[in-house]
Formats: sequence, C-alpha cells, structure tokens
Amino acid sequence: MSLPIADRVRGIAADVLEVPAATIRSDSSPKNVALWDSVRQLNLVLALEQEFGVQFEPQEIATMTDIENIVSILRRKLNDHCA
Amino acid sequence: MAIVIQPYTADLVCAVKAFNQRLAAGGIEPRFYFPEQHVPCWLPKLNGRRIYQEFHLAVEDESVRGGFSLKYQDFWLRDGVSRVGYYHMPISEGIVNKTYFSVGVQMLRHADKAQPMLFALGMGGFNRPLPQMLKAMGWSLHAMPFCFKVNDPAAFIRNIAALRQSALRRSLASFATRTGLGWMTIKTVHWLRSRAKDPAVCWEAVAGFGSWADELWEKCSPRYLMIASRDSGTLNILYPPDKNFIRVRVSRESHVLGWAVLLDTQMAGNQYFGDLRLGSIVDCLAAPEHAFAVIQAATGALEERGVELVVSNQSHAAWEAAFRSAGFLPGPSNFIFAASRKLAEKLGPLEKSRQEIFFNRGDGDGPANL
Repeated sequence: MSLPIADRVRGIAADVLEVPAATIRSDSSPKNVALWDSVRQLNLVLALEQEFGVQFEPQEIATMTDIENIVSILRRKLNDHCA
Repeated sequence: MAIVIQPYTADLVCAVKAFNQRLAAGGIEPRFYFPEQHVPCWLPKLNGRRIYQEFHLAVEDESVRGGFSLKYQDFWLRDGVSRVGYYHMPISEGIVNKTYFSVGVQMLRHADKAQPMLFALGMGGFNRPLPQMLKAMGWSLHAMPFCFKVNDPAAFIRNIAALRQSALRRSLASFATRTGLGWMTIKTVHWLRSRAKDPAVCWEAVAGFGSWADELWEKCSPRYLMIASRDSGTLNILYPPDKNFIRVRVSRESHVLGWAVLLDTQMAGNQYFGDLRLGSIVDCLAAPEHAFAVIQAATGALEERGVELVVSNQSHAAWEAAFRSAGFLPGPSNFIFAASRKLAEKLGPLEKSRQEIFFNRGDGDGPANL
C-alpha cells in the first residue's frame, strides 16, 4: 500500500531540501527552512510532478508556500485527474 | 497569494516603481530594477517589425512582485527560419522577501509555456540562481568562449581586477609594470599566437547597413546551424546611427567579406576592467572561412583608435579559432548560453552543436550591457 500523499510530499521535500524527514512539518516553509530558496522550490516542483504524474500551473506554483499548501494543491489536482 | 503573469501595461507603472523601491530597500543594485515605462525603450513592438521585446509582470492584486522581458526575433535554425524568444531581465521580489520566493519559478514556467523556443544569455555564471533554475528545468547550458587582446600591457596590469585581488598579485603586477616584464610577456604571447595578416584585407567605417549586408546575410546564414537574423533591416534597428557603434565593412579586392560592429568605451571604476579604454567586438558576420579577415580588420580598427584592451564573446568554432589566430587569448567566461528543451531538441546535443551555432554579445541585452 502506498504512503499517504502528505507523507510522500514530506519525504520528497526532505530529499530536495536536504534535511531529515522528521524535521519537515506541515508548516515548513521557506521562512523556517534555511535552504529552501527559489532553485530548490523549482526542484521540489519538478520532483513532485514526476512523483505524482501531474503538471503544476504557474499560478499554482505561486501558492505553494508551505507543505500544507503543497499537499492541498496536490490533493485537488489528483482528484481532478481522477474525476 | 494569487499571482498572475500579465503584460506590462501603463496602469502598472506606479506599481513597478513601488516594486523597485522595495528592491532598493532590500539592498538590490539599481541595474537590476525593472523598467519604469511599460513600452521598452530598446526594441519596442512596432508595426511590421520582426524584432521586438515585450515586458511581462508578476502581479498580486495591485502589487508587482516580479518582471521579465521576452525578446522575439527570427533565427536561421537548421534548415529554415524559426521564431525564437530570448528570456531576459528576470527579477523577482523573492530576492528580498522570501514570501515571494516562487515568483522566479512561476515567471520562468510562464515564459517557457508561452514560447517554448527560448534561450537565455549572459547570467553571470553557472552558480547564479537563474542558470540553476534553467538547468533544473532541463535546459542545456554552456559557457560562451571569452577572448581578449591586450594593446597596452601596463594599463591592463594596472586595471584588471583579477590581477589586483591579493597583495601578492598586486606586488607581482607592480613589479611587472615597473620592469617592463609584463609588457614584454604579453606582447610576446600575442605575437606568438598571431597568424600573418592578410595585406589584401581592408576595412571602412560605414554609416549603416544596406543591400550589401543583405547579400552577405543570404550567403552566410545557411552556413550556421543557428544564427539570429542579421539582414540590413534588423541591423539598422539593433545598431542605430545615433548610438556609439562603429560599423566596419571588411573587403578584399572590392569583394565584401563581412562586417563588424564595435564599441570603444572609456571605463570608469568598472568591476572587471577598472579604468581601461575598452574595445569590444560586439557583433560581426562573414562566412566561417572569412572570420579571420573580419577579426583582423575589426581589431585593427579598434587598435587605431587607441583602445587598451579588446574583448569579445563568440560561440562558433571557426570564429573562436579566428580570434586565436588574430592573437587573442582565451579568458574565464561567465557568459552563458542556455537553450530551452524545445530549442535544444532542434539543435541536437549542445556538446557538439555549440560549435556550430553563432552567438555573440550582439545577441544579448542590448546597448546598455555590451
């Protein structure tokens, strides 16, 4: 059985941001993760697209400001995909 | 935060001014500010023009959070004419406020979607954020060769920043200047690397580009894998008579071989060139076998004017070889060419195609940054 979306996002974010997975929380954001800059944001977007088989719109990328937002955008996209 | 990318319109000028003020408050240098007029001064979109640029902004409610420019022009690409965009001047509020850290990504994604045939140029080195983002998005990148020729070794040693970065380098440079050792070394190296000049090659300064330039363009363009349109119409727009460009037509026995556009600039406290009088070979065109003749003539024209150093960036292998034959030395380059995925697909592997594409500083940001 695959992991819940939130856990998979946290795992990918930890890899991209090069921090232990345990330190990634739902409120983790560029404001509290020092290495989270624009380049890593792009790497995170690309890694999530590859993992979940989706493509984010530029407007969606702008709202991916923390892990919680990312998870909710992904959930919405995946539901749209299935609908 | 709902940010949309939209064309820069007159009603957003005040918001751009406020954006620039926030950048200033964050310590960003004025050269990075976004233009405070919605119609570009350089290459505005005019009826019938095939070369122009358009400004785009990242807007949140009524605030501007970033901007970029897309310059459009025709290119000879592989076997025909293609429309290609140049992604440049991107600036995002993310550099001073982490809330907007994703604006840069959003703008790049938008541009890539709007015009998949894109390239970027310059960018200041591989370790800067933009080249890193481009690389992450699957763009192909390589550094465009930089070359230089020293005409006044003493002035060169006195002014070049790289020679003055440490106390040891400074004292070695002073010693070389005082004893004449630097002069002798530099002149010897240039002389050893120079091929004999062709005495039949001559040059003349011209006020503009005419039908002779069109004929040359027709003959030369298919010789390159990728080259931006350099017909007379485009050239007279890019290098207008009211700017300081020196246009040189190069001939052999009244047969036009090529042309070059040059700049002769007195630097003042420049971060790389100090106070040198700098000559640059901004742009040029000839068939690959005539590259040496054009470089020889262009360099001669600049030397006659008394420039202390001549510099250029050229991507094509024949032109790179021509510069070497004219006594130029290779230098460290932070001038990067980046091709979007779609463009790279057309070009083929950049390791090989980079030697067949024709790019130089004339393909960059324009007069302000040449």
